[in-house]
Amino acid sequence: MTLKKVSTGAAVLAVVSFVIGVVMIVSADPVEKPDIEIGHHETKSIPVLGDVFIDTIIATLFAALLVLLLGFLARKALTKDPDDHVPSKLQLIWESVVGQVNSQVEDNLGKVHPYAAPLAISLFFFILFANWIELLPVKVNETDHLLSVPTADTNLTYALAAVTIVSVWAYGIRQKGLKGYLKHFFEPFPVMFPLNLLEELIKPITLALRLFGNIFAGGIMLALIGMMPFWIAWGPTVLWKGFGGAIAVIQAFIFALLTVLYFAMAGAGHGDDHEHDEHDEHDEHEADSSDEKVAQTA
Amino acid sequence: MAVDNEAVQLAGAFIGGGIALAGGAIGAGVGDGLAGASYIEGVARQPEAQGRLQTIFFLTVGLVEAMFFINLAFMALFVFVQSKG
Repeated sequence: MTLKKVSTGAAVLAVVSFVIGVVMIVSADPVEKPDIEIGHHETKSIPVLGDVFIDTIIATLFAALLVLLLGFLARKALTKDPDDHVPSKLQLIWESVVGQVNSQVEDNLGKVHPYAAPLAISLFFFILFANWIELLPVKVNETDHLLSVPTADTNLTYALAAVTIVSVWAYGIRQKGLKGYLKHFFEPFPVMFPLNLLEELIKPITLALRLFGNIFAGGIMLALIGMMPFWIAWGPTVLWKGFGGAIAVIQAFIFALLTVLYFAMAGAGHGDDHEHDEHDEHDEHEADSSDEKVAQTA
Repeated sequence: MAVDNEAVQLAGAFIGGGIALAGGAIGAGVGDGLAGASYIEGVARQPEAQGRLQTIFFLTVGLVEAMFFINLAFMALFVFVQSKG
């Protein structure tokens, strides 16, 4: 089948179904008010923590187990046959992502930091798989989903942002000392302290809400498209799920990249690029000593 | 004829959602357009910088779209939640 025939057939099919759809929608009964429930999660009572959103937790565990499984599979493929080893596709994907993140970390932090780089890689893969759950057709009926999208729940995104920002603060305090880190809020001018403090507090909030908003909007759009009759809803569903998959990749990439950038900003100071050389030497001395500390504790 | 409170609340919720979406869409469109224009100009000036500039471009697009999607989340809050109760 040539490409021309396939595309002609697809175009004819699209036009015919569109025309039929318009005719039937126009001649149908008026549609009732949209019955989309926003923010509805199944709750379950856990002994210590009280009521939790069990669907988010299950989906989170699913995504996390998927990341772990793929990681162990890649490592198993790596150790299979050291000579004449043709890398498998999974291994290539892991290596390309790890290489990219390591180069970003090296560009921004000066070296491949043993905590920041794995954190960024894990965040990327976990958020990617958690976002891609949205593409799976797991809706059983009007109210039941087998797997809900965990990143469409602000609880998960706030938790991810909290972990990231506490790591960034710990890294900054370790790089500069507590006094030095607190002093950098007054850095260019002491009068800018409120703005710097606000910027530091806004970082986790925008991290969380950016991811939440993107994925949540995708979910709402899918619900709206799902209200169309089934013989017309397949087209927009395919298009929107494709777009949603791309948005998932972009958002995971942005979260990981911003994590690395926040690490760099916490360790190096506020936009003083002309002082970068002095800070580089200083950071390398600090980084060497922190390397030894990490090696001792590991 | 007096308008009851529920109608006013419903109308306010929908109008608020519409304004939030309008502002978000305008801001996101302008922001993405500016980022794209700078990217094209940078690549036209120096074609071999395309890879590095692409990373920065997607980062900027993601940050700009974040504002739009935060607006969208608030629109969902207004239209779907506030208009019911």
